[in-house]
Amino acid sequence: MRKEQAVTRPVEGMALILIAIFLLLAFFSANAALQVRQGLSPWTSLPGALLPPLLVIVTFTLFHRFLALQNIQSEQILFPVVCLLFSVGLVVIWRLRGADGAWQQISRGFLPGILLAGLLVARPQWIEHIRRWAIPLCMAGLALPVLTGLFGSVDETGARLALKIGPLPAIQTSEPLKLILIIFLAWFIEQHGQVAEGRGHILFGWLRLPAFKYFVPGVLFVVLATGALVLMADYGAVLILACIFIGLLYVGFEMRTFLAVIAIGAALALLMGLILTVAWEVPAVIQYRFQAFQDPWSREMILVNGQPSGVTIADGPGYQIQQAIYAVTAGGITGSGLGFGSPDYVPLAYSDFIFAAVVEELGSIIGAAILFLFAVLLLRIFRAVLQLPPELMFERLMLVGIGVHLFTQVFVMVGGTLNVLPVTGVTIPFLSLGGMALITNLVEIGLVLALIRRQEMAAQDV
Amino acid sequence: MDWNLILFVSKWATIGVFYSVLLFLLFGVYREMTGSMRKVKTANTITYGRLYVRNAGDDKHIRVGAIFDLKTETRLGADTDNDVVLRDSYVSGHHAVLRWDGVTWWVEDLRSRNGTMVNDQPCEPGLPQPLANGSVLTLGEMEFVLIDQDAE
Repeated sequence: MRKEQAVTRPVEGMALILIAIFLLLAFFSANAALQVRQGLSPWTSLPGALLPPLLVIVTFTLFHRFLALQNIQSEQILFPVVCLLFSVGLVVIWRLRGADGAWQQISRGFLPGILLAGLLVARPQWIEHIRRWAIPLCMAGLALPVLTGLFGSVDETGARLALKIGPLPAIQTSEPLKLILIIFLAWFIEQHGQVAEGRGHILFGWLRLPAFKYFVPGVLFVVLATGALVLMADYGAVLILACIFIGLLYVGFEMRTFLAVIAIGAALALLMGLILTVAWEVPAVIQYRFQAFQDPWSREMILVNGQPSGVTIADGPGYQIQQAIYAVTAGGITGSGLGFGSPDYVPLAYSDFIFAAVVEELGSIIGAAILFLFAVLLLRIFRAVLQLPPELMFERLMLVGIGVHLFTQVFVMVGGTLNVLPVTGVTIPFLSLGGMALITNLVEIGLVLALIRRQEMAAQDV
Repeated sequence: MDWNLILFVSKWATIGVFYSVLLFLLFGVYREMTGSMRKVKTANTITYGRLYVRNAGDDKHIRVGAIFDLKTETRLGADTDNDVVLRDSYVSGHHAVLRWDGVTWWVEDLRSRNGTMVNDQPCEPGLPQPLANGSVLTLGEMEFVLIDQDAE
């Protein structure tokens, strides 16, 4: 039994109107401030500056109408939250990188991502195909980063992050890998988790350890993925992968199984660490990043091939942390106002360190609100999980994995910006400039919305 | 035109609009929660009785104080095809069935291993027995109180 007329989504619509006002106001003031600082009239460049927000507003509205036409009645909070985060990011990127950066963000990340999310919402049965074809999908998804690790183009920092195929723009293959890992683990736990748990060995009278053969595919997959990322020198992604892995184990298994597996994993990691510290040097990138975290102003020399290179940690990896701290302090409570700060001093302020730029120009009041929005996003995803029936193990685990992925990205990067965690290069979802990263995150949101829609359809058919 | 003033105002307006979106979304969450609660109350199918959990035995999935809505025929037991699944170790796979005949609730023991008791009196297996409002039903180690909606 389907309703004939389209449902209305009043909360989402009203929130989108407010977001549109925010976008126009922010672009207006950023443009005016930049022009006034150069002694020019703000009016001449205003139409050009208002073009990207207008396009984004139109896209938001179309997607909102699309969701209404798809008869999704619940979940009117998730999409506005994503829109608001993306809007803040877009303003800061536009202010830092000019119109080119904003257009790049829109055309390479936002539009394809929204399109894919829309496709998933329109065809929620594809999720069933994803579940059925999980193995080939994961093989293909794993092959890409391995190829990148071996043949990818090396950028200036020595990381092989991008794979270039023919005339297409380079793809950051480590981003979809995280989604692939989520899908693989959800599928694996659904297929074998119950059996593995039922046939567990009992340790110390309480802990339960699944038989060894159930570990092999999971561990093999994770080791291969991690190896590819280490080849790519993308250690931030390794961290995210580990968090997703632990998160899904925690959700997917009983507590005593989880503890047994984690205890063995931690013991193995310790052993590996001990062997590696003796036999192999910690990669210099990690070592210096950790020193920079302990003291960003350290005068210690960086060694290149055992020789002092004349560069101190304060000039090298500590520099961006120092600048991020200065930017955050310069912003204060209400910020300098869009266009009035100087976040361009922070290296990578438009992608990894965008939180510092946001706090400098919009103030920590907005920074706190952004963290709050991410918390709302996480809770909405978990709410969607709770609304799925317990038999849909794959879907539930996938949504939990998505939540964990988004959350760890924010946690790691905001921690790195504020110098409470060592810096690892990951992007902040929806805020940072990034093609593949933004597409992956939007596809994840699309998956959440698609599952909500599928559930509503199932409820209406009964 | 005094651009400093305009930009000062627009800075505060930006913060204001951002927070109004935030508050509006929170308001949306609040309205959704209260709305769905109201919907649950009105859209609920008519129930004739409920089971209040007084003692959950060693079933870790059921809390004391939980309340089950009863269908006109509700099967209780440890197997997952029951309407109310009880994971206590003294409850049989298909333990008992509760029936509403339009006037009274009846409980029938399905030849369970450890039997069913009504107000501490064992039931005869296979013979339905009437339940009054407030009767205490004992299955294995679990204890329930029947709440008859008609009698309320």
